[in-house]
Amino acid sequence: MAGAIGNKPKERPKYGMLSNVLFMMREAWRIRKPVLITAVLVTVVQIIRNIAELYLTPSILGKIEQAAPLPELLGTIGGFIALLAVMQSSETYLNHFASWDRIIVRMEIGNRLPMKMLRTSYPNAEDKEYISALYRAWRGFAGTSSAAEAIWTTLIDQVKSIFALIIYVRLLTHLHPALMLLIIVTSIAGYLASRHISEWRYRHKNEEGECQKPMRYVSFNAVNRQTAKDIRIFNMQPWLEDVYAAGLRAYEAFFDRCGGVTMWGGILDAALVFLRNGAAYAVLIGMAIQKNLSASEFLLYFSAVGGFSTLVTGVVSNMLKLHEQSMDISAAREFVDRPEQFRFEEGEPLHPDLNEEYELRLKDVSFRYPGSDKDVLTRVNLTIHPGEKLAVVGLNGAGKTTLVKLLCGFYDPTEGEVLLNGVDIRVYNRRDYYRLFSAVFQQFSILETSFRENVTQSVADGDIEKMMECLKKAGLLEKIDSLTNGADTHVGREIYDDGMELSGGETQRLMLARALYKNAPILILDEPTAALDPIAENDIYMKYSDMTKGRTSLFISHRLASTRFCDRILFIDGGVIAEEGTHESLLKKNGKYAELFEVQAQYYREEGRNHE
Amino acid sequence: MSENKQKLPLIESLRLNGRAFAFLFRQVPMVFLSNIAQSVFSALTPYVGIYLSARLIDELAGERNPEKLVMWVLWIIGTALVFGISRAMIQRWKDTRNVAWWFHEIMIYARKMLHMDFCDMDNSETFKLYHQIMQNTRWTGWGLERIRVLFRQTLDAVLNILGAAALSVTLFTQLVPESAGEYTVMNHPLFIITMISVMMISVILSPMCAKKADSYAPKIAECMRSGNRTHGFFSELSSEQERAADIRIYNQEAICEHYFKTTNEVLRSGKLLRMVRGKLGLIRALGTLISTLFTGVVYLFVCAKAWAGAFGVGAVTQYIGAMVALSGGITSLVSVLGAIQNNAYFLRENFKFLDIPNNMYQGSLTTEKRSDIEYEVEFRNVSFKYPGSEQYSLRNVSMKFKIGKRLAIVGQNGSGKTTFIKLLCRLYDPTEGQILLNGIDIRKYKYDDYMNIFAVVFQDFQLLAFTLGENVAAGQEYDRAKAERCLRDAGFGERLDSLPKGLDTHLYRYFMEDGVEVSGGEAQKIAIARALYKDAPFIILDEPTAALDPIAEAEVYGKFDAITNGKTAIYISHRLSSCKFCDEIAVFHEGAVVQHGTHAELVADEKGKYHELWHAQAQYYVANETEAVPDI
Repeated sequence: MAGAIGNKPKERPKYGMLSNVLFMMREAWRIRKPVLITAVLVTVVQIIRNIAELYLTPSILGKIEQAAPLPELLGTIGGFIALLAVMQSSETYLNHFASWDRIIVRMEIGNRLPMKMLRTSYPNAEDKEYISALYRAWRGFAGTSSAAEAIWTTLIDQVKSIFALIIYVRLLTHLHPALMLLIIVTSIAGYLASRHISEWRYRHKNEEGECQKPMRYVSFNAVNRQTAKDIRIFNMQPWLEDVYAAGLRAYEAFFDRCGGVTMWGGILDAALVFLRNGAAYAVLIGMAIQKNLSASEFLLYFSAVGGFSTLVTGVVSNMLKLHEQSMDISAAREFVDRPEQFRFEEGEPLHPDLNEEYELRLKDVSFRYPGSDKDVLTRVNLTIHPGEKLAVVGLNGAGKTTLVKLLCGFYDPTEGEVLLNGVDIRVYNRRDYYRLFSAVFQQFSILETSFRENVTQSVADGDIEKMMECLKKAGLLEKIDSLTNGADTHVGREIYDDGMELSGGETQRLMLARALYKNAPILILDEPTAALDPIAENDIYMKYSDMTKGRTSLFISHRLASTRFCDRILFIDGGVIAEEGTHESLLKKNGKYAELFEVQAQYYREEGRNHE
Repeated sequence: MSENKQKLPLIESLRLNGRAFAFLFRQVPMVFLSNIAQSVFSALTPYVGIYLSARLIDELAGERNPEKLVMWVLWIIGTALVFGISRAMIQRWKDTRNVAWWFHEIMIYARKMLHMDFCDMDNSETFKLYHQIMQNTRWTGWGLERIRVLFRQTLDAVLNILGAAALSVTLFTQLVPESAGEYTVMNHPLFIITMISVMMISVILSPMCAKKADSYAPKIAECMRSGNRTHGFFSELSSEQERAADIRIYNQEAICEHYFKTTNEVLRSGKLLRMVRGKLGLIRALGTLISTLFTGVVYLFVCAKAWAGAFGVGAVTQYIGAMVALSGGITSLVSVLGAIQNNAYFLRENFKFLDIPNNMYQGSLTTEKRSDIEYEVEFRNVSFKYPGSEQYSLRNVSMKFKIGKRLAIVGQNGSGKTTFIKLLCRLYDPTEGQILLNGIDIRKYKYDDYMNIFAVVFQDFQLLAFTLGENVAAGQEYDRAKAERCLRDAGFGERLDSLPKGLDTHLYRYFMEDGVEVSGGEAQKIAIARALYKDAPFIILDEPTAALDPIAEAEVYGKFDAITNGKTAIYISHRLSSCKFCDEIAVFHEGAVVQHGTHAELVADEKGKYHELWHAQAQYYVANETEAVPDI
């Protein structure tokens, strides 16, 4: 099992074909029973139809040949047509009947994949391998033609083909045994050839993708509003069009080569049909002359030869299709099965309470990202006291954000431990631990639903009064009040056409309102003012300082000036806490912090002096 | 969209589809020619088979001359082999010509977008239209996309009908011999007309069922649309890395789960299920029933005539094959006509987009190439409203740029700074007032010529995933020495020296595994180098330091002199510290220029906006000398 969930789950699926078929049947029975019931009915109907079609023309011709009485002829026709009409129309109806249920089954199982992704231990969310495993797993559940839906058609067709094959074999035993062998061989050879061709295409998929890349890139940029300005100012249109045209030429050239392979496949196929039909005719004409086979019997056998060969090809190709679909389904099941590195429901519960005191401590913490050979943080020791206002500053890439990720429990340290009131946080239910924090991160997730859902972070009504209060504090109430639907207005246009697109400042304020509403014991703010003008920036600083009253808070910034309202400033450099203290003490120290502050302050100070 | 959809009259539909066909044929004639070849070929081959098999069966039912039997068999398998080989070859030609159809089509839209006036490009209505077209194209294949298919289907149906009719004419002309007695009634014209009418009814009823069933598709799509969008959003969200932290802190998985459940509820809801299992399913089944019954009628008629002695057994298979094919041909012709009418509705949107005019390209004056770069630009009473907006973004702005001087533009978010730049570079035209270049309205100049006098680094500038050198030169052919010099002037020199492939290094990893990821600051330097390479009389920098840390910011300031060297420079920033470098400052507030002067003048005006802005920032840096930090 450990091997199957290792790096290349694609190579050996953990679940076999039978297991996956049974899995789908079990789930379908649980979720929507009609899927299975109609599948059985459709199979029966298809078998009957197949046999009726085989006998239709030969039986009728037989009647004409024998000059049977007219009523008998018309009766035979009427009987066949009635049977076919009932079978065909009920097949159509049954397929429609079940189509919706098949979608529901696929969606219900498929939804487990994003749910797993949403709930998984945080490091997985940043792990490329994990995300590509999700996409691999999704392949079987995305769209009506994906494995989770198509498997029903494949199964029905396979069962039908096997039943029909038995009937055809019995019919054809009258003929030459070598003919039967020839049919089997030519059908399978034809199938393998066509498979070889599609595999050729699959093997050269990268090449196809490479040709498409420039075209996709240019067309993406051509309709990108941001690039539009640069394109016009720097007159880049001819350049982009040239790149596109070159991609198009390469793409067509690739398919011309591909077409060559397909063409030979087509020619081979024609040759195989020539062989098979030639042999069938030879045997049948021989029988017609020697054994006095009637024209209608001749027709019956000849159609049976064609039908038999189609069925042989069908059974082989269904088997392979089923194998591929089974792999897709297995990939999804394996993804959902993946073990978690953090403890969740099985961990110790935590009940965050604003009246309790929480002390966070990093003890000898070193950290390196998975797959990296360099420590981002080295032996960091830090205690955040209850109620303390802490600022973390440093240049880009110094390790500020990593420090936050460790404190929030998004990553576990490579060495050392993170302690909450002296207890290693790894023992707790990690989801409970997250409840300790209100946070505004640089990278965020605003849901494209309503303002209300975004602030209260719940679809239930939530505390409307508290929500309004938070919106007001965040400076967003005026905006909300001006909207017809108030807090129920939709955010963004991805889901709702009537949604409102937020500016950078409005997004900041919405995140602030959300953090206020959550009102958790520890507040974390990561670079919250980058996109704001000076007055708005100042305004937000004031709000934050207001928010942090009586609360443990952590403020991350590269604007040194903004951290002056904090009790203690940590200056991070080269993966360690290089300096710490208050703003004044750090300036007095005349170290790196003071140097950086000087760089920013000089412009203001000089001007200020000139002036005052 | 689908609810207020009206069918266009047939003539109008044909006209629109015809226009689309002509438009596409001019772009990619081979796509259509190869389809014609394949259609003609594949329409004719089955009839050869039907005809030859009928002769074989006739011979078997009749004299059974071994030589003749062998001859017919050889004909059958021989022609099948030849046709099979030819089909493979024609298929190759057609496939190669058609495979890039999608990309040809995408290019039509991309090219339109590339050359569209910026104001139309920036208009959300244009994008709505574009996305609507893309959605129609991608999900249902309506619009220009469908033309190729419709063309092929029409051709196939017509050829099919012709071939089948040719093979079945004799079914009606061959008479039952007099010896059949009362059965000669089948020779009576009335009998034949009745039979044909019965067949026609079923041939027409079956496509009517299909059409009725198709009319449910938009209803279902409408019910599904919001569910699909919701489901798509929440599924995508789960794998978006930048959301992962918020998702966990704010327990968003619970909301996601809720929406997954509700979208499933929609699927399970009675309304859709009843539609699919009720009327829709039944109508489809009825369609199948009718076409099977049609086959029955054909069988009855053909067999009865054969039984009465009008023709042999072999002909039975021929006539049945031909009649079934004929009905198929008529059915598909009817449904293609319906589809053409349907498609016209979508084509109107396609053409609405493709017909957007290029108003900015009307000017004819050329700007002189002046070595002294004496380009004087003046705003005269310019006011501006974004299309569809009630509010003015700029009001009565009058300003003259002093040649060779540096102007700083400051103001709060939304005060009109960026809009001002967009008007200056003629990405938009003013709603009222005029912008003059050397005294002449800029609308009179050739658009490309006017664009040549500006080099801009926008706040949201974009670099492309091509080579470094190409990015600097904004093109494939360029002067390497000049590109390198510009990069060094922009402060990228050290990094350039560290790149083994130098100017030929690809930016980002999109095209090349060994492409380099550049940081925000480095990207900014490349963008500045691009502006320098253009060597235009005006250089404009919009917020170039927002994403930089203090060290990188100081570096950009330090380069300012080199960057603007003798050109007219315009600098927009939130960080007022940058104003220090500028000769003049314009303060924007609510769309108007409220203050204009040097830093010293403006900061002295204690009631002015500039003073307020300056102190909002400066307080943090100069607190010990001036007023106190906000009290916390």
